[in-house]
Amino acid sequence: MFFEVDYFDGKSSRSHKATLSANSLAFLISYTNENNKSKVVSWEISNIKKSGVYAKDFISFTYGDLFPFQRIESADKKFIDFVNNSDQKKLNNSLDAMLHKSKKRSIVFLLLTLITVGIATYFYIIPTVATGFATTLTKKNVIDFGDYVFRILSTELDINETATKKLQEFADEMTIESTFPLKLYVVQSDDMNAFALSGGKIIVFSSLLEKIETEAQLAALIGHEVSHIENRHVLKNIARNLSGAIFVSVLFGDINGATAVLMDNAHMFKQLSYTRSLEKEADIFGLDIMRESNVDLHGMPQLFEILQKETVIDVPTYLSNHPMLKNRIIYTEKIANNQNKFIKNTVLKQKWQQIKKSLENNNE
Amino acid sequence: MEIISEKHLEKTSIKYVGKGAEFAIIYFKNIILTILTLGLYYPWAKVEILKYHYQSTALDNSRFSFNGTGKEVFRGFIKVYIILISLYGFLFYSMQTQNEVLMFSAIGIFYLFLLLVVPFAIHGAVRYRSSRSSWRGIHFKYLGDRVEFFWLYIKGVLLTLVTIGIYGAWFQVDIRKYIFSHLRFGNLSFDFRGDGGRLFWINLKMILLMYPTLGIYSFWYYKNLWKFYAENTTITQDGKTINFKLKVEAGDVFELVVVNFFLILFTLGIATPWVAVRTLKFFFRFLKIEGEFNTDTIQQTEYDDYDDAAGDDALDFFDIDLL
Repeated sequence: MFFEVDYFDGKSSRSHKATLSANSLAFLISYTNENNKSKVVSWEISNIKKSGVYAKDFISFTYGDLFPFQRIESADKKFIDFVNNSDQKKLNNSLDAMLHKSKKRSIVFLLLTLITVGIATYFYIIPTVATGFATTLTKKNVIDFGDYVFRILSTELDINETATKKLQEFADEMTIESTFPLKLYVVQSDDMNAFALSGGKIIVFSSLLEKIETEAQLAALIGHEVSHIENRHVLKNIARNLSGAIFVSVLFGDINGATAVLMDNAHMFKQLSYTRSLEKEADIFGLDIMRESNVDLHGMPQLFEILQKETVIDVPTYLSNHPMLKNRIIYTEKIANNQNKFIKNTVLKQKWQQIKKSLENNNE
Repeated sequence: MEIISEKHLEKTSIKYVGKGAEFAIIYFKNIILTILTLGLYYPWAKVEILKYHYQSTALDNSRFSFNGTGKEVFRGFIKVYIILISLYGFLFYSMQTQNEVLMFSAIGIFYLFLLLVVPFAIHGAVRYRSSRSSWRGIHFKYLGDRVEFFWLYIKGVLLTLVTIGIYGAWFQVDIRKYIFSHLRFGNLSFDFRGDGGRLFWINLKMILLMYPTLGIYSFWYYKNLWKFYAENTTITQDGKTINFKLKVEAGDVFELVVVNFFLILFTLGIATPWVAVRTLKFFFRFLKIEGEFNTDTIQQTEYDDYDDAAGDDALDFFDIDLL
């Protein structure tokens, strides 16, 4: 069988109309050169290189290891079919040939695969890898990271030294099995807030402390924050947020702004729901700490009721990073009602009164 | 009587013959493989996409060819990432120490490095792409000098800073002049004959008219800009000059940009490969070669076998596109 090709000798750009015949060892290319002489060139199959990518109506090869390389190009359908059906593995590409057979079907198939792979990567692989990374980070690294964040924050925090000392004593009195050294701070502020940093630091704002009425409520707050620390919630949250955001921006950022913004927002929503699941985990774990410390578990729902009173608008659950306080009151109360008999820890009560006093002194 | 062969009367044609559906298969296949390998397949994906665009560009019915390999691009990719990771590592380490001198010098070194590496990356990328590009077996090559180009670039950056951006137009033209005047295709040579003042005027008109016309002027701006780049590029063959014409109007730019925008928007990006093909078809449809260009007598010259793709990969990182 003879095929039509264009042959280039690598020395000049002259195009030679040529015919090609193939056997199992070589391509034989015959053409007439510029001096009207017939020429035959033999290409050993082992030295032929595919030059382009698969296309339905075009194929090209180069030949030789030494420069200049010879080249053939062809739009001959018979030749393209011949190459794609030949058993020379290095010349044809069965996967591409199959994909290009029915374009519409392949595009639909590839798009569905792309969506499946994208979803699986985003919802399963990336979160697993990110959480795994946060979990395997050494204790020292976690503490260093927390210290680093605290150093940046601390310049803006007005720390109440006496209350801080008393709060630390309170926490030391609780039965907490912590892998990280716990360090608590009371900060003068009108915001009703408390938060934990990776590696053991807990910051409680004075106005929240002032609203708290009993030692059980304070124990609930500390229990909740300690479980964020123990379970490396901050790190997990950052790792998942960052890796997910990078994935979304790499995949959609290149395409166009509008899609990227849409996807970024979708990512934010998903991240919020993850944060909420972490909050719930911290509530349950916090109740365990309270139980161990011999504190009335009702302190937790009571704490939420205080927070609920102080928050003017209760944002719907899907928008808030804390599960709606109403929900949290219901599920923590249920657990608190089932608490076994216990002997109340009286030292905690004393320590709590000392904290109250130090806050009052500061306000005078 | 002089006999003029028909061949020479016929204008040399250049066109893009790629097909959207065909490219879509290649594009989606490569994205899937890149995601599945968490990015490691990227070099091979990039090479396959480049190969498709090159082989779909036809000059006088013969196709261009990109001869780079995934392996070469992968090696460059690793080099770039090792350098970037060590730079970031140094930056984070210095921040952790809380030592202010170390911190500021690390930030300084970081940005200085990013600035200084760009000209080397451009040089490497142009040289690699040229070495790996061919048509009818004739190879391109870039003969620019790395150090010379570096100083040209630094001079341009400094002058642009000092003149609060005004020199930018001359800077861009200088860079292009340097690259093109050192580019060869077999025994053909290239040049860029644009004038910085003209580019400055094009940019200035854009700044002045953009807001009063609510952005509508931008279609004229792109027309002017693309014409400026295309029509000032020349090829010299045996002492004769070959020119390009880009016969595009603002209306054509409008059609290209607006249709591309809606295609991408309403398909949430799925139309990307079709848009890429449309855009390339657009440019080659309007690009005309003028002058006596004999496409049969180009002679091969010495080969510049440059296999270091690190510059090309670094430009991907900086999001700089060649030409």
